[in-house]
Amino acid sequence: MKKFTVAAIHFYQKWISTSFAPRCKYYPSCSSYAATAIENYGFKGVAMSVWRLMRCNPWSHGGVDYVVIKEKVGTIS
Amino acid sequence: MSNILKPLYFAVSWVIITIHNSLSPIFGANSGVSWSLSIVGLVIIIRVLLIPLFVKQIKSQRALTALQPHMKEIQKKYKDDRQKQSEEMMKLYKEHKTNPLASCFPILAQAPIFFSLFTVLNGIGKNPPVRHGVLTQADVVSAAQAKFFGAPISDTFLGTNVTTVKIVTVLLIAFMSATTFTTQRQLMLKGMPKMDSSNNMMLQQQKIMLYLFPLIFAISGVNFPIGVLIYWSTTNLWTWGQQFYVIKRNPTPGSPAYEELQRKRAHKEGTIENPESGSTETIENPDVKGQRKQPKKKKKK
Repeated sequence: MKKFTVAAIHFYQKWISTSFAPRCKYYPSCSSYAATAIENYGFKGVAMSVWRLMRCNPWSHGGVDYVVIKEKVGTIS
Repeated sequence: MSNILKPLYFAVSWVIITIHNSLSPIFGANSGVSWSLSIVGLVIIIRVLLIPLFVKQIKSQRALTALQPHMKEIQKKYKDDRQKQSEEMMKLYKEHKTNPLASCFPILAQAPIFFSLFTVLNGIGKNPPVRHGVLTQADVVSAAQAKFFGAPISDTFLGTNVTTVKIVTVLLIAFMSATTFTTQRQLMLKGMPKMDSSNNMMLQQQKIMLYLFPLIFAISGVNFPIGVLIYWSTTNLWTWGQQFYVIKRNPTPGSPAYEELQRKRAHKEGTIENPESGSTETIENPDVKGQRKQPKKKKKK
């Protein structure tokens, strides 16, 4: 299930996202944040991704926001 | 799921029936014109409500002109590392409290609206028609029989043998595909910052999708009732118009359309000015915090 979700995100990144103008206000983008979060935290990662997506709204200023993985600061996938 | 969306069914059907009722005295209650225009009206209302968000985005894109020197610096510094480049760029935006990007949430927020609209319109297309929200059974029956250029708005391409319906659905699907195609093509050619060769793969994928989207529309469109196709065509046309306006008037800095506009403006003022030299003053004063500085040479038009 985890693998399937992450694969779906990667599919979105590769095929769907590329054909529209970039829109995410964060680095890493919401989709790669979601992929990392779900890979590392499973179901809790889904909740984290939803929260991130809600923060990526017209009134936020975006910025750099990694998934915090255990002790070390996360990498983008 | 349908319980969560119920309020949206009500909202969507309420808008449709309200427009329909106000158009009925002019075109007739059972007329296809009243029903088709109700769907078109719904699209217009949704898109007009979204305009403030759009304006906000354009404003922050304009504010970006002041940050151009910083951006050039970052691009130069991390020439070979695109990821670092975009990371630093995001930091810069945050520091200056301006972000030219549209953000992800609005798109997702639109999905439930589209889905409930689809359910309401699809209900009209069922045989016998299924009512949703505030629509009465009489309403859906009237809507199902209403005709759009001679074809009942509840009919689908696959569910009919009538030639008129086939022709109308095919034309609508062709229109949908054409608007999507031109919108994307325009964005690719003019609207996006120029890409270097390291982004060739992305460009390739964009090109593939450019031709794949119309195909996806054609495959899914044959299952949709004409009412849904009307909605889809209208919203595509709106997107195209909106993008056309932006590319002409407020293009993304760094894109071919932006350079073209710069040239035009410089030409108008009779000076051939290098677009980069316009905001040199900000270099001397790198501590400006998020002030929306309007570049001086920009003429109000």
